[in-house]
Amino acid sequence: MEKRNLSISNFRLFCVQILLPLIFILVAAGLGFNYLFEREVVAKSQISGAYKINRILTQTYPDEIPIFGDSRAEMGLLPDSVGDNFFNYGLYSTGYDVTLFFVEEECKKTKKRPELIVNLNLSGFTYGLGDISNYLYNINDDGVKKLLGDDYRPYFSIPFIKYYGRFESIFRTYFVENSLMAKVINNGASLENQSIPVAQFRALVAKREEDLPIFRTAEVLQNKLLGIIKAHPNRLFVFVIAPYHPCCFDSTNINTGHAFIHMLRTYKNVRVFDFSKSVFDESMFFNTSHLNYKGAVYYSRLLHDSLSRIDSN
Amino acid sequence: MLFNSFAFLIFFPVVTLFYFILPHKFRWCLLLVASCFFYMFFKPEYILILAFTIVIDFMAGILLEDETEQRKKRKYLIMSIVANIGVLAIFKYFNFINLNITGVAKLLGLKNHIPYLNWLLPIGLSFHTFQAMSYTIEVYRGNQKAERHLGIYALYVMFYPQLVAGPIERPQNMIHQFYARHEFEYSNAVNGLNLIVYGLFKKMVVADRLSVYVNQLYGNVYYANSWSTLIGICFFSIQIYCDFSGYSDIARGTAKIMGFDLMVNFNRPYLSGSVSEFWTRWHISLSTWFRDYLYIPLGGNRKGEWTLYRNFLIVFLVSGLWHGANWTYVIWGTLHAFYVIFARITKIARNNIAQFAGLSKLGSLNSFIDKCITFALVTFAWIFFRAENFGKATQVIRKLAEFDFRFNLNQITMMKGPLNLILSLLVIGLLWCSYLLPTNLKLKHNILFLAITTFIIIVLGKNGEAEFIYFQF
Repeated sequence: MEKRNLSISNFRLFCVQILLPLIFILVAAGLGFNYLFEREVVAKSQISGAYKINRILTQTYPDEIPIFGDSRAEMGLLPDSVGDNFFNYGLYSTGYDVTLFFVEEECKKTKKRPELIVNLNLSGFTYGLGDISNYLYNINDDGVKKLLGDDYRPYFSIPFIKYYGRFESIFRTYFVENSLMAKVINNGASLENQSIPVAQFRALVAKREEDLPIFRTAEVLQNKLLGIIKAHPNRLFVFVIAPYHPCCFDSTNINTGHAFIHMLRTYKNVRVFDFSKSVFDESMFFNTSHLNYKGAVYYSRLLHDSLSRIDSN
Repeated sequence: MLFNSFAFLIFFPVVTLFYFILPHKFRWCLLLVASCFFYMFFKPEYILILAFTIVIDFMAGILLEDETEQRKKRKYLIMSIVANIGVLAIFKYFNFINLNITGVAKLLGLKNHIPYLNWLLPIGLSFHTFQAMSYTIEVYRGNQKAERHLGIYALYVMFYPQLVAGPIERPQNMIHQFYARHEFEYSNAVNGLNLIVYGLFKKMVVADRLSVYVNQLYGNVYYANSWSTLIGICFFSIQIYCDFSGYSDIARGTAKIMGFDLMVNFNRPYLSGSVSEFWTRWHISLSTWFRDYLYIPLGGNRKGEWTLYRNFLIVFLVSGLWHGANWTYVIWGTLHAFYVIFARITKIARNNIAQFAGLSKLGSLNSFIDKCITFALVTFAWIFFRAENFGKATQVIRKLAEFDFRFNLNQITMMKGPLNLILSLLVIGLLWCSYLLPTNLKLKHNILFLAITTFIIIVLGKNGEAEFIYFQF
């Protein structure tokens, strides 16, 4: 009995002297760090996914024309070259589920300009959340939770802990933006300023030839997109297909993609600009499906001209 | 179940709490059930293999003790060892042997019709098999009384903190601890918690961070230059140390909180001044196992120099094979045998040279040079340990030998970006700082240590529940 009492008093001592103070210190330090991290790093990095999601959810710029899509949008369109008041919401490694999340949020806003630019790929409608750290800053938003679906974890709601293992990717984006080492940053766009050596580029082409983009149809996403278009006749949906390296044109079901584009064109509030075959100079590519800075400037000007024609019409 | 998983974060406090709440007579039962649950979290059916070896060795232990005739005792011991080695042979070495038979048959223009087994290697098989074998050998030698309580014996083999990656315990150290009445002790709990947090730091912050660069190097050797190869192989030396010693620290810490003492498995091995010393500091539970059950029975150093060299070679070859069924592990073991034998043969000559060159007067600088040379030798041998095959190992060595030390940021960072390299160097720096702490982690400012280390784990820890390297053995 005496031993048991000693054990209990030891346990009490452990709780009072170690466990509780440790929890208190960690909670205080964690909350403080979380506050500073979100305020100074996450919220101040315009190319980070977290910033872009927060911007689309919480801020409204009536004159802004948004550009949505994946890395082909993020690395392909230079907002200042496209025109005034463009902002690039492109998110690396994401699928159409994320793009449509942005489009839906955009359509909830009251804007002075009706246009919104949406990137379309020859790979069609794919799913992909990309880096989970993009969503953590706005994790309490119901739409974000729904978007994450099965990938949502209860600890994502705990400040500081939610960033466990993900601080690095956010810091990396922050440093890239602030060091301007090999990238050009412009209103959300992140463009590669360096070109790949010829030998390596040839290797990428050879690899791509073995794995050509196939237009994937995903009924849920396609119907959702068409639903949004129909529900917002006052908005002008401008779909753009960014340039591909010529090696990608041998896609086996490219006709499926063309058929879908053709169907999109039947909507009154839709314009489709296919730039997929507009760049043949290899020096403009970062890899077979992404442009570098030089290519992005060229492509952005092409889009600028096309958008000007809409305006004049 | 992984120590660095969310499941363990729940499992461990619950088991520990119940351990202290339950009356002493039921505690073994709780620990056994918890250990089964822990093991079955990986692949439930492999518990049957464990059960098989447990029953065999339990019965062998009793037969060994009850038998008075030496010849029969020997027979029982051999039967038990054959059963244990047999399980290892089937699950770990069958395909390797078969592959080599196929190779030899091909050379002779024949065909090998023996089918390959499509079984996964049970996690930690080599660890618990060796632990079980040490029990029967010790009972045979009369150093340990046979355990007559099947549950306690099963717990000796299956005690969850050290079940899948050691330390490989001895029955003399462990079995009596399962009978002892442990009460919650403040000092044990604090020290145990320090060990767990430090182990998690080593695994999640250091090892998993360095693995990014190392995996990239071994996956894309063609992209590396001599700088990146040098960095990558040094990183692997530190990665494997932190991965394995981190596991051992967590194992010791979890056991310590419940009042159990597990043996120290690592003692800052890269501070060794020679390869022989390295083996007294690295995976101590395995090297002492080989010393006691292989090296000494072979004659140790008592039968002349040549027998000693032969014994070194056998021990290191077996040690290599213990790690894995691959020729790369055999080469790794042979290299270590060569280092140790060469050092022994050249000891007098080296001492004379050192004296002649005045190196012995340099004191701490001389000791530092010895440590660097030992680290370089061990790191070179790790190339074979890490590479999937001999070809990949030679590619890595060729990259080193090219002496291409041009500064190319993409190559130096192995395309993983400067931040990854900076963080890798930072965590090595933090590991170095942690060497200022006492080895047993009995500290004055426990709260400070726990808070800072936990904070570092959360901020710098790599995401994902990465397996421990030694699980595969």
